[in-house]
Amino acid sequence: MVTQRVDHKWGMVVDLDRCTGCQACVVACQSENNLPINTKDLFLQRRAYEWIRIERYWEGEFPDVKARFIPILCQHCENAPCEPVCPVFATYHNDEGLNVQIYNRCVGTRYCANNCPYQVRFFNYWEPVWPERLRNHLNPDVTVRSRGIMEKCSFCVQRIRRAEVTVERRERSNLDYATMKKRNFLPACVSACPTNALNFADQADVSGPVKEYFDDVNEHPHGEAHDRKTRGYRLLEEMGTKPNVIYLKKVDPFPLRKGVSHGS
Amino acid sequence: MKLTRRNFLAWAGLSAVGAVACEGFGIREGEFSLQSPVSLPEDLVRGKDNWYATLCRTCPSSEGIVVRVMEGRAKKIQGNPLYPINQGKQSARCEAGLQAMYHPERLAGPMRRSGGRGSGQFESLDWTAALDIFKGQLQQNGDNMLMVTEPLRGHMAKLVDRFTRAMGGQHLAFDAMDNIAYRAAVKNVFRQDSLPDFDLANTNFLLSFGADFLATWVSPTRWNLGYGEFRQGEGRKRGTFYQVDPRFSTTAASADQWVPITPGWEGYLALSLAYVIISEGLEADGVDVAALTDGRGVGALDAFRPDVAGARIGLPDRLRGETPAEFITGLAREFATKGPSLAIGGGSAGAHTNGLFNLEAIYALNYLVGSVGTEGGIRFNPAPPVDDLPASADVASLADWFSAAEGLNGGRTKLVVVHQADPVHGLPGSLQFRDALNRDDLFIVSLSPFIDDTSALADLILPDRVALEDWGSDIPEPGPGYQTLGVQQPVVNPLSDLDPRSSADVLLSMAGELDKQSELPWDRFEDMLKETSKELFELNRGSIKAGSADEFWNTMLQQGGWWDEKATSSARPNPSAGLFNTIAAKASEPRFLGLVPSRDTFHLVPFSHISLLDGQNAHLPWLQAVPDPLTTIAWQTWLEINDGDAARMGLREGDVVIVSSAARTSIRVPVYLTPAVPPGVVSIPLGQGRLDGPDAATGRRASESSNVMDILEPSQVEGTGAFAWANTTVTLTPTGTSIKVSKFEGIVRAVEVGNTEAERIIITVRPEEL
Repeated sequence: MVTQRVDHKWGMVVDLDRCTGCQACVVACQSENNLPINTKDLFLQRRAYEWIRIERYWEGEFPDVKARFIPILCQHCENAPCEPVCPVFATYHNDEGLNVQIYNRCVGTRYCANNCPYQVRFFNYWEPVWPERLRNHLNPDVTVRSRGIMEKCSFCVQRIRRAEVTVERRERSNLDYATMKKRNFLPACVSACPTNALNFADQADVSGPVKEYFDDVNEHPHGEAHDRKTRGYRLLEEMGTKPNVIYLKKVDPFPLRKGVSHGS
Repeated sequence: MKLTRRNFLAWAGLSAVGAVACEGFGIREGEFSLQSPVSLPEDLVRGKDNWYATLCRTCPSSEGIVVRVMEGRAKKIQGNPLYPINQGKQSARCEAGLQAMYHPERLAGPMRRSGGRGSGQFESLDWTAALDIFKGQLQQNGDNMLMVTEPLRGHMAKLVDRFTRAMGGQHLAFDAMDNIAYRAAVKNVFRQDSLPDFDLANTNFLLSFGADFLATWVSPTRWNLGYGEFRQGEGRKRGTFYQVDPRFSTTAASADQWVPITPGWEGYLALSLAYVIISEGLEADGVDVAALTDGRGVGALDAFRPDVAGARIGLPDRLRGETPAEFITGLAREFATKGPSLAIGGGSAGAHTNGLFNLEAIYALNYLVGSVGTEGGIRFNPAPPVDDLPASADVASLADWFSAAEGLNGGRTKLVVVHQADPVHGLPGSLQFRDALNRDDLFIVSLSPFIDDTSALADLILPDRVALEDWGSDIPEPGPGYQTLGVQQPVVNPLSDLDPRSSADVLLSMAGELDKQSELPWDRFEDMLKETSKELFELNRGSIKAGSADEFWNTMLQQGGWWDEKATSSARPNPSAGLFNTIAAKASEPRFLGLVPSRDTFHLVPFSHISLLDGQNAHLPWLQAVPDPLTTIAWQTWLEINDGDAARMGLREGDVVIVSSAARTSIRVPVYLTPAVPPGVVSIPLGQGRLDGPDAATGRRASESSNVMDILEPSQVEGTGAFAWANTTVTLTPTGTSIKVSKFEGIVRAVEVGNTEAERIIITVRPEEL
């Protein structure tokens, strides 16, 4: 009896109406994925590492002013602009919908980062340094990237692999959303998010929180976005990158731009 | 040959028969295929991980966490899914408990001052000698002891309370931005002793005044949980949220409508809303307006008519195209008719001379819309399950600190014991607490695992264990609506090169040696917790079913605490007669101690930093590196100023200004321009400006890292003695120098640039379009 491999296609849905910009996802990610400590110098050089970050956009002028938050992470594009430009195939698309970075293949050309419209790739210009004692909390499941290597969000592939190995291969049971959640296999940011703005599941999982949105957005591509039944959209959708991350529109009862039909 | 798994597999791999045999044994085919280097087996990590439940101590709300421990090292912190307060979720601060644990600048063991006070020169000594010194001091000066701690609840509160009583000393809990006025308002309006819970998940219209509840106020992770449901919960209509705030806070950014107001006038707006609701008869069914106003009806609030109040409270001339009076009337109607509605207030609204009036007026609104003790409204918590366990963190008021400083200056206080608090950094500069501690006839014992501004002045440092290595408990305040006791357990041992000792155990051993067992009959802190566990076991109810007290204790540690969802509070307080008259009679304008507000001055609205809070987390690199959500600034202090004000003064981002109040010192801060600060208001976060301690907290220039507390006027909230920290006016003087601001945002301000709506980064939609 040989177990059949289960074909997953992972996806994330970010509800902008729930996000409060609290930064819990950012720190959760840094801790889970052994991100180098963002020193003040890294901020000054605009090289801070945040695999997931909160961007803030202003709109309007006082007193009719708004600030909106959006968590931005690797969009795990189906048509990923970063992939074809890598000369050594260090970044490729795996069959689970993940855009994967193979650290020990990367030679650091940085072409991928140049080509990423979402600016979610981070280059190690220097060897990351932790004070000796702080190395104790590094996650043993995640490689520490050395100098000259590109890194980015992996959808916490180490948790996904652990889930697949433990549940599907060892226990031979079904890896549904409830199991992912209960047994702590969801990505660190999703698990932390206190408003449940971040959701993650197999796009085909009927019990999961993302299927409805991926079905809707896939059914009505960019040109037919007005036909969508949900608030779903893809970031910079007109570029045709087909991300595996879907955003749900922010609901605003008092939009500043009057007379503009929002979301069409 | 010995048959090991490896040999077996080697044999099996050599033979096709082997593969068939293995199928028979249920071994997967994948085990036999060669691993390509692109898909390295992730299951080859050495060691097995365990997740242990405990409590987080990086913020005062003490969330329940689970810690991943692998080969004796803590690796990851996550919310405890079982814990009722945060239900598996966490704040940005929780995670950094790991960095406190493995911090390179943690104090290794006891130290004694070897140079002048505050010189930073210490020598190591062993625990026996250190405890002998401490014992000697307690014997000699115990009755003149001042014990300063962080806000305490649960067992540590009980221990410290009994310890100080047994010694004859005084205990003050330090909280830089205390909730004393809020607590007093809850007491006056609802006659409840503990802070209430808000049922945000079921609220339909939320009106918040000054409370940055989604970032730092009271129990932010809990509020965020409810807020998510409030916005897009299953099977409910999306809630509407207005934030009245003199500062455009993180919370205001999440509101549907931000209502800027002159600092300190929130109570007038609240009573103006009450006026509209009463005059238009919009109060909820069953609300007895006559009782609330002592029979006077709307006449009781005549001074707060929207046309009168609207002109005074500083609402913009046009907000959404409406005049202040129109806006107030419209807001009152929505608030009254879109229930369940909820009005909450705190933060800067309560930190003025008239803060108590502001908060009482705000919370009284809940009676008008019938949201007291109801679904979608304000909920109260039952008394704790066991007696004699403090469920509220009572903190010292500014008035208390003034008398403490007097006691120090007058030489009456001979011994100061400080635990996990940094009053030298966190008290307003004009109180001169540093000078008060800088005396030769005083002995200071610090129980801090790190150097901070207060422990740098200490004579003796007895480093405590950090949260992940120590026992503890918490009765969350506010609770989830039912009896809850969280338990903190050591999930890992301290590293071998460190020799900290649990402060609770140190206090208990001192009590033992000084024959105070009648007050403190426990040998170890763990015994104290076990005793409570036994009492809970005997109650025989709640989340743990156990056959024996031991089993109960183990299950409690596994789950991270005990709670009983059936043990709710039935409190549905009725308003006292003439509540609105009483509050209206208290109405007063905010009075400013120092500079009189004018065209040349700015209102200073300080705020708690999203990750550093008042500075208690400033030594943790992850939390220094958390960008402020609105400005994206990290690792430094900044001053938020309106674009127009900055243009008028010729200021650009990064220009350093001198911020002066009438208090004796001034600070230097770089400015950050925003479109969202009201003209005439500036804001500075707390948290930076530490003078002593780890590099992450101190290693920067004064213009990058300054402490706003230094310039705050020592105003008090009338009727409470609480610190009115939002009650300072300042002047700004450009220095002509400029620094590069360390922020995540690019050089250009981030605004939407999409050519069409569909190309926007953040697409919005009106509720009616859904």
